[in-house]
Amino acid sequence: MRYFAQRFLQLIVVFLIVTFVTMVAIQAASKDPARDLAGPLNSTEARVEEIRKHYHLDRAYPIRYAYWLKNLVTLDLGNSPTLGASVRTLVGQRAPITLLLGLYSIGLALILSLPIAVYAAYRRDGPFDRFVSGATFAAVSLPNIILAVLLGYFFATKWRIFPYAASKIWPWDDFGEHVRNVALPTITLAVGLIAIFVRLLRADLVNTLQSDFIVMARAKGLSPARILWRHALRSSLFSLMTSVALQFGGILGGAVVAEQIFALPGMGLLLFQAVQQKDLLVVQACAALFALAVVIINFIVDMLYAVVDPRIRHARALG
Amino acid sequence: MTDIVLDTPSKPAKPSPLTRLIGRVPPIRKWKWGFVLSVAYLVVLTFFAVFANVLPFIRRYNELPKGAAARKLASYRGKPSGSYWFGNDKLGRDTFARSVYAAQKTLTIGLASIVAALVIGGLLGMLAGYYRGWYDRVLSVIFDVLLAFPAIVLALIVVGRFFQSGRLNLGLFQMDKRFFGVIVVLTLLSVAPLARIVRAQTLALSQREYVLAARGLGASSWRILIREILPNLLPAMFSVAFTGLAVLLVAEGGLAFLGFSVQLPFPTWGFMINEARPDIVKGGGWAVFFPCILLFLTVLAFNVIGDRVARRFDIREATL
Repeated sequence: MRYFAQRFLQLIVVFLIVTFVTMVAIQAASKDPARDLAGPLNSTEARVEEIRKHYHLDRAYPIRYAYWLKNLVTLDLGNSPTLGASVRTLVGQRAPITLLLGLYSIGLALILSLPIAVYAAYRRDGPFDRFVSGATFAAVSLPNIILAVLLGYFFATKWRIFPYAASKIWPWDDFGEHVRNVALPTITLAVGLIAIFVRLLRADLVNTLQSDFIVMARAKGLSPARILWRHALRSSLFSLMTSVALQFGGILGGAVVAEQIFALPGMGLLLFQAVQQKDLLVVQACAALFALAVVIINFIVDMLYAVVDPRIRHARALG
Repeated sequence: MTDIVLDTPSKPAKPSPLTRLIGRVPPIRKWKWGFVLSVAYLVVLTFFAVFANVLPFIRRYNELPKGAAARKLASYRGKPSGSYWFGNDKLGRDTFARSVYAAQKTLTIGLASIVAALVIGGLLGMLAGYYRGWYDRVLSVIFDVLLAFPAIVLALIVVGRFFQSGRLNLGLFQMDKRFFGVIVVLTLLSVAPLARIVRAQTLALSQREYVLAARGLGASSWRILIREILPNLLPAMFSVAFTGLAVLLVAEGGLAFLGFSVQLPFPTWGFMINEARPDIVKGGGWAVFFPCILLFLTVLAFNVIGDRVARRFDIREATL
């Protein structure tokens, strides 16, 4: 419990530091934040002063930050001058897309990497294992910008299987179109994940398959499939879950590139556009959401570790 | 009377530091060809990158063809040929020269960042792992903060705020401000993961008998850190440097792709890919393909080398 509280406190501290630093740096980078927030069109002096008052931009940073936090809690984060909507609406529209993209790519990666890794570990050092080892090594070294450009060229431009510029279609509106739209960004993110998961899981399984309880299971006459899928995989799943969680930050980073290339209107594209157009409040909100996601995932991983390994929970007691 | 020559027992020759680091060179039939090819590729690339400013066919990276040549080469009409190995880009510039020049920029950025990150991250990680307590806790919060920043926001803050453009005067040598800013961003991105690896290793090492023995002999903490722990950390740091460099090259490619890396007239691979990407159907394929292949091969080569080093020293954290 003490461990839990400590990690939770750390989560909050980290989140506060990240958002505060983001706010100060972004607003200090602008010559006049009020003028940026007033937007390029209706920036009369009176309007700029009104904005300055409204967002407390004439106050010191800590006070500004306190107001921002208050706004965060009430989910009223102001308006975006360039996109002509409130930050809450924008984030509300965009965040689900990136979330879906992340879930799809993790799901696809898991579905494909589990059987590949299990079979590679089962026929260790066989032709399939060697091929998988080489292919995953190459895939880990393949930058996602290259993958995205290649996928875009072949599947969207040349063969026209998938649309190049993805548009936002919800799965419950038209499932087929939705799949076609998110397919390329999903594959872009999934290839690297598959490679990482397969390498990790295969190495783990190879170790597990040499342990005593597997010999025992074999001696009892269980079928290889049952041993692999039930006995061996179960003990390897934990490290896989940790890896899934730890890849999350990377997925968010990759989403910025993938969404930009395939014009998928998610959080990554929103952040990118906001950064380019000095849309300060949107950048702050996006950075806060990204940071929150990473921090919470890290927290969950720590908790999982603690649940499984009591030594971590009681590190203090043992000195 | 004959001289009695006492045969001094021949001591086995002490291996040179280089031999200790890379081991004996095995006979050719045992060579790992992936590793050998990676080293050879990187040696060639580094050679071109180092002499990019001298070699005449690379120095022309920014030259626009004039007159009749312009009509023949510009708008991606120049295909790979004897005089232009990688063809020409939209403005008729030599893609090979630009790619190699980009290699110089990208490799310099990557190397500088990984060295800085190893020094800073290594030091912080060692201190956190050795002293533990409140020191460890403060540092782990800092690392968490660094890990929670989206890279693009970090780039916006550092490059956009502090190193927008102009020259940076560091006394002895001058540098393009943006160039320096990109190095700072990549260093900040890699300090936290590196420091975590070093911290974990230090935690384990500082419980070993020889460290306890040194402490028993009254050695100071600094002496223990530098003479006992650091030498045992070096293999891990050495192999992490290669895989880390590969990751940084990918990250630089992404930043350049989004327009946050070094700006023209300096090309980098990510920038070149993004530049020619919209024209891929209008004949820009070669101008996209060659930077892509160079970036991929370079990342792959560093990963292969990092993997071999990690296997040699049996380091699990650094393997892919």
